[in-house]
Amino acid sequence: MSDLTLNAEKRTQFGKGAARKIRRAHKIPAVMYGHGADPIHITLPGHDTMMALKNPNALLTIVIDGDEQLALAKDVQRDAIKPIIEHVDLVVVRKGEKVTVDISVHVEGEAGPETVVTVDHPTISVEAEATNIPEYVTLSVEGLPAGTQIHASDLTMPEGATLATDPEVLVVNITQMVSEEALEAELTEAEAEVGIEQDQSDAEAPAEAATEAPAEGEQAE
Amino acid sequence: MLIPRRVKHRKQHHPGRSGAAKGGTKVAFGEYGIQALEPAYVTNRQIESARIAMTRYIRRGGKVWINIYPDRPLTKKPAETRMGSGKGSPEWWVANVKPGRVMFELSGVPEETAREAMRLAMHKLPMKCRFVKREGGDI
Repeated sequence: MSDLTLNAEKRTQFGKGAARKIRRAHKIPAVMYGHGADPIHITLPGHDTMMALKNPNALLTIVIDGDEQLALAKDVQRDAIKPIIEHVDLVVVRKGEKVTVDISVHVEGEAGPETVVTVDHPTISVEAEATNIPEYVTLSVEGLPAGTQIHASDLTMPEGATLATDPEVLVVNITQMVSEEALEAELTEAEAEVGIEQDQSDAEAPAEAATEAPAEGEQAE
Repeated sequence: MLIPRRVKHRKQHHPGRSGAAKGGTKVAFGEYGIQALEPAYVTNRQIESARIAMTRYIRRGGKVWINIYPDRPLTKKPAETRMGSGKGSPEWWVANVKPGRVMFELSGVPEETAREAMRLAMHKLPMKCRFVKREGGDI
């Protein structure tokens, strides 16, 4: 069993009025379904659920009237502005069952000089056992030159997981940095069009800051 | 600057300002974003100024995405003109931004650099904004 246990109550009233009443009580309306069973409408504790869903693929143990069920969060509806969860869809899973989930791609290392690393797909779909879902897949770009493209098939899958997404999907693209002259010319043209005038002091300040900023990043690593 | 190449109607009604953004409320392409907290019309000059501010700060190290497009024309009557005689002439192109919308995204730079670049860009925009990150909707 997972260590993320949430005590749920069955819901008997539905609709936006009832849902808003639940949210006012700092709880979250949710629905649980899967394996051909009828959907169960439940209420989850607000703070505990929010903490449990910090990991989007967390395996939850839902306790309803003493019965325990394993579930994964299939969809989490969050308010766009306020830090609240509006509704959660839970899918029932069983021990040993294989599920398809999205896990994040962690890029490590520094690519070659004068390159920009763009993560085109920050998450990939993998198939894994519900009780053994990896948190992320690590990818090293250490020293890779410009023009390198890393596809989903090039990733090293964590133990017990297999790739479920299209192997041809571009995950990371390493491109050549635009030259200083080209960037300056483009910005000068854009500023002239908008009507921005650069003072000499203004032009120097960001350049100094930009040269300092990557140095800070390197120190942090 | 961003301007539509061709439009069906030169003069339109003012876009509605009520409500919250229906989509585009999450960081989709980059790692960091600027999210609107108030409704506003963002002109193409403001979008370009914000982009220039960000690009000037990050220099060559990152990539910037602009998720809004100024596709709505606003008109203006000339100064000291009596009312009537039809609608004024198109003066601005604006994007109708509602609260929650992620307008700009950035990737390929450390978080501290992104925060500062986006702080500078936010000063070019006509509404309250905040810095958002990709992971888990944390702010």
